[in-house]
Amino acid sequence: MTRRVVVHLLLGLYGLVSAYPFLWMVSGALQGTKEMLGGGHLIPRHPTLGTLAQTWTQLHFLRYFGNSLAVTVATTVGALAVYSLAGYSFGALRFPGRRLLYGCFVALLFVPGITMLLPLVILQNRLGLLGTRTGLILPGINATAPLAVMLLTNAFRAVPRELREAARMDGAGEARTFVSVYLPAVRPALVTLALLTAIPTWNEFVLARVSLGDPATYTLPLGLQDLSSSANPQQNTLMAASLIIVIPVVLLFVFLQRSFVNGLTGAVKG
Amino acid sequence: MALPAPTARRVREALTGYAFVLPAVALFLVMGVYTIGYGLTLSFARWNGFSRHWTWVGLGNYLDLLYRDPVLAPAVRSAALRTGVVMVAAPAFAVVMGLPLAVLLNRIGRLRALYRTVFFLPYVTAGIAVYYAWTYALAPDGSVNFLLRHLGLGSLAQPQGFLGNPATALPTLIVVTAWSAVPVATLLYLTALQALDTSVLDAAAVDGAGGARTMTAVVWPMLRPITAAVVMLGMRDALQGFQLFLVMTNGGPGGHTTVLGLEAYDLSFANQFRPTLGLASALGWLLFVVALLLSAVNVRALRSRA
Repeated sequence: MTRRVVVHLLLGLYGLVSAYPFLWMVSGALQGTKEMLGGGHLIPRHPTLGTLAQTWTQLHFLRYFGNSLAVTVATTVGALAVYSLAGYSFGALRFPGRRLLYGCFVALLFVPGITMLLPLVILQNRLGLLGTRTGLILPGINATAPLAVMLLTNAFRAVPRELREAARMDGAGEARTFVSVYLPAVRPALVTLALLTAIPTWNEFVLARVSLGDPATYTLPLGLQDLSSSANPQQNTLMAASLIIVIPVVLLFVFLQRSFVNGLTGAVKG
Repeated sequence: MALPAPTARRVREALTGYAFVLPAVALFLVMGVYTIGYGLTLSFARWNGFSRHWTWVGLGNYLDLLYRDPVLAPAVRSAALRTGVVMVAAPAFAVVMGLPLAVLLNRIGRLRALYRTVFFLPYVTAGIAVYYAWTYALAPDGSVNFLLRHLGLGSLAQPQGFLGNPATALPTLIVVTAWSAVPVATLLYLTALQALDTSVLDAAAVDGAGGARTMTAVVWPMLRPITAAVVMLGMRDALQGFQLFLVMTNGGPGGHTTVLGLEAYDLSFANQFRPTLGLASALGWLLFVVALLLSAVNVRALRSRA
């Protein structure tokens, strides 16, 4: 009995450490400027939703949210489309050179992001994509390549080849076989990939910072940085902005937790 | 309708295969191969990003970074030293926190899902928002100082803030790095613990091994591949990651938290009009070589132990 109490006490204690910045965010976001200027409190004495509402409407966070959502959805959908096709062809089809190609994608895992950052910005500029959403989306999709190819190739390889033969017998073409036989069979892997793409894309800051110039195109992380470097930023506003960034991913994670956790262990082990 | 001949079928399958990898390959050629090739070429030149021509310097950039430049080389060396410290300390921290947490989580039935969700928050939200929240919590009038003073630990409080004092800035960033690495470590250990053969643990108990002895003599060796994976992931992140450093201190105070990734970032984007882009590329490729060596070592370690 006492042992169980100790175990829960220790876990609860680390839970506090783990959630510490979020508690701080929530506390700050729920305080008005007046309370904040008076030093602020860990537990707000006069909790208000006014700061959140103001950040959302007057500080353009609605627009940043829209930009972030557009970039995240496009990157995720793009990654799912491009790499489910590639994963299917690596995992379920046989053709000369597939091992070599597969190796090329996986090798990308070893190239540090900073090594690619500067050439990427120059490339965006050459393609006329500097400062645009497409300029973030295309490299974003490519950045998921190593993980996506590994994850989906493994998933497609696990689908029995007899299913393919059976579909062919029934007269299904290549596209039909892929869409109605294989895709449904690898659904868990697709959900995992969607989360592993959407979460880092939502939080992406470095590429956005060096490539976006016009505030109208800012994503949420950039909006937050802009806010913090403005004259005399208030802590409650900053924490409200941070909370606006964090809440959607936390909700996404809570709802899809099971497949996320399973997929992540699989991806890291695989 | 007769089935197509086997050869025709194989050709069709191969053609489908090529057609299906085409979008991924096209994207890879433009976003991957082009940028990698461009970066590698640029690492052998001097360029400020605006002039029409590059000046070829051969291996000059690499030599400047490694020893030749009287200002840059020492800066790179101390950044490398700091990166090395983070690469050792952050994964060690993640193991030391992650394993006990996993053992505890493995013992309880109720609330496990809740704890797991809360423990996973740092991973899911890793980014500028959380780093700002930490920055404010660690500021001179932040909540960490406030808590320490109220818990009677005022001597540990930092009047300049934890990130403002050159002595505490790097250790503090290491703790935050580790804090974000603990979730994946805990999860990997927990999965491995759940898959452990319980009969081995029972046998150890029959042989009279206590909890601590079972842990060190039986469980810890069996978890070695997981520890290797956690350390490898942590080292890779420490080597390549610099976002946390960029957002929380930007290398300050007085350059005391500049790591290699941040140094490369500054050479790329903070030196407007100075011809440092080749140097930035060269530093990026040096990081790549280290990452490659690291994974080669790790593959061997995993093979010999697992």
